[in-house]
Amino acid sequence: MTIFLQATAEGLALGAVYSLVAIGFVLIYKAMDVLSFAQPALAVVGAGLISSLAIDRGIPFWISLILGILLTGLLSLIIERTFLRPMVGEPVFSVAVLTIGIDILLRTVLDNWIGLSPRYLGDPFPNFGNFGSITLNGVTLKYLEISAFFTGIFVIIVLSIFFKKSKYGVAMRATSLDQEAALAQGIDVGRIFGLVWFIAGILASMAGFFITGGFNTLTQFSFISALRALPAVVIGGLDSISGAVVGSIIIGLTQGYVGYFQSNLETLIGISLGSGFSLLAPYLIMFAILLVKPDGLFGTEEVERV
Amino acid sequence: MRGRPNLYINYKKETAILSTNTQKIWFVFMIVFSIAMVFIATDYWILLLTTAFLIAVASWGLNIVSGFAGQISLAHGVFVGIGTYTGAVLGGVATDYVVGYELDMIIWLPLSGLFASLLGLLIAPIAVRLKGLNLGLVTLALVFIGSHLFSNLKTFTGGAGLGRKTAKVVLFGFQFDDGFNIGNVILEKNQLLYLFSLLVCILCGLGVKNITRSKTGRAYSAIRDRDIAAEAIGINLFKFKSSAFALSSFYAGIAGSLLFTVSGGVEPGTFNLLYSITFVAIVIIGGVGTVLGPLFGALFFSLLPGTIQTVIHSLENFGQGFALSSGQIERVIFGLFIIIFLIFEPRGLWGIWFRLRNYFKAWPFSY
Repeated sequence: MTIFLQATAEGLALGAVYSLVAIGFVLIYKAMDVLSFAQPALAVVGAGLISSLAIDRGIPFWISLILGILLTGLLSLIIERTFLRPMVGEPVFSVAVLTIGIDILLRTVLDNWIGLSPRYLGDPFPNFGNFGSITLNGVTLKYLEISAFFTGIFVIIVLSIFFKKSKYGVAMRATSLDQEAALAQGIDVGRIFGLVWFIAGILASMAGFFITGGFNTLTQFSFISALRALPAVVIGGLDSISGAVVGSIIIGLTQGYVGYFQSNLETLIGISLGSGFSLLAPYLIMFAILLVKPDGLFGTEEVERV
Repeated sequence: MRGRPNLYINYKKETAILSTNTQKIWFVFMIVFSIAMVFIATDYWILLLTTAFLIAVASWGLNIVSGFAGQISLAHGVFVGIGTYTGAVLGGVATDYVVGYELDMIIWLPLSGLFASLLGLLIAPIAVRLKGLNLGLVTLALVFIGSHLFSNLKTFTGGAGLGRKTAKVVLFGFQFDDGFNIGNVILEKNQLLYLFSLLVCILCGLGVKNITRSKTGRAYSAIRDRDIAAEAIGINLFKFKSSAFALSSFYAGIAGSLLFTVSGGVEPGTFNLLYSITFVAIVIIGGVGTVLGPLFGALFFSLLPGTIQTVIHSLENFGQGFALSSGQIERVIFGLFIIIFLIFEPRGLWGIWFRLRNYFKAWPFSY
């Protein structure tokens, strides 16, 4: 039972981190019909910026955290202006491949900066409690995971208020419904695109911090963790924010449970699943769900005519 | 009809593989030139050109399924990997920890293509059910499933980090390792492999050209342009989407089984996400849905490292250092080119070539 609770806690924390990236994916997809593969790269770039400000420049951690997150949002805004704006109206797949190009560019520069040794982010989380973790009823929780979970919930609440109440939130919803109608109502759609990318960049870099913070460290392979938000989005449906959150929690829990119970599972079915199966499981779930429900659990069905 | 190269008096002539005299002359000239390269170029460039030809074959495969039939596949590298390991198992040498049967190339080369296309047929039902981005995402999942299997099926692949040796290149009992003498010119293994890859490349290229001018090719284009409309005019979607995936994987398998015989060994980590995306990028940089495009793209991609090396060497003689290593410069240029081509020249290198050709064709008039 303790192991089960442990797996659940870790899974929920992972789910919260994934949902940050996933909401960014969905926002961009809803606003511009673009699936941005650059999101994982933005997450690790955010972590890199924080690390470089806090460790290399010696700026206090909390200031560099905020600066790094804002700078990533700005970078994301610049990417939208320079690369994505000329592609409005192009086929969906071309734009998706374009974001892959951006991803390669960003990560090559970042990998060169990271080098071979892992980078610390200079956050105080490892100093809290017993090497950054606390034990409750035999369940070991990391402070980083706890704060990731609550940050995730906080961000979701703030965003939903933003979409319901604020002028720009309503404008964003209008744009995602119908771009031309939104234009006719006097909404500056271009500015909305920029805002969407800015928010997505901020969310990605927050996720990037939680993925690489503490003892996790930033390495050249950190982006693969952020990429796992992609199956989460697909499971939930590409155009549903609540779907993205549910999908992220499913993916997070799957990863947690499979990680802890893989040996039990293997004896149950009698085949070895291989090392690192818990990292593959999210993709298998995505595979299965897409076959049954091609538009995801919460996505709107697309109706096509000749 | 001399002097009127664009006048076709019957349909057969118009759909011929090489429809004009200029094309025929260029085709023969390029083949002769490529063969002559064996005697001119250094070993390094021969190696790069060999990989270029084989990558062109694999990219043609992706172009069949994505460019002609319009089905997005991000998992092309996985099929290349399947071809590689089928070839390695059938033609490689057995050791304590990997299996190998040391068969002749005439057996393992077609079989690795066929096995890959069999697995390609397996994902075809998914392609019929899904379309657009969703299909791309499912194939993305395939990349991760593929690399997980490659690293864990240790008896076939040698396991992650270790890898295994690839197939021995023995054609009809003739060992490529032994070399071959013509008069007093000795052709070594690399040069023989180069010539063999050239042959495979030409045959596969003609195969692609043949598909585009046949009923199958027209059905593919119809599916790409609007699959519902294609179904309405009587094209069997299941049949043609399946055949597109099978053909594409066949090309990938053939290319894959030969690709790593150049270096002699292969590690499962090679077939990662970036490897699959490389093929998508090659097709886009070369020109989507064209016959020559993937060849241009593959030549560009494979010769890029050599060019960068040369440039860096000549610059370093002036005492200049670089912040990025040559591999990283290669990736930056590659990423930049994907972006630049998608924004400014969606038809790729082929589009540039097409405009150049038409400019000189009509010269001195503008059109």
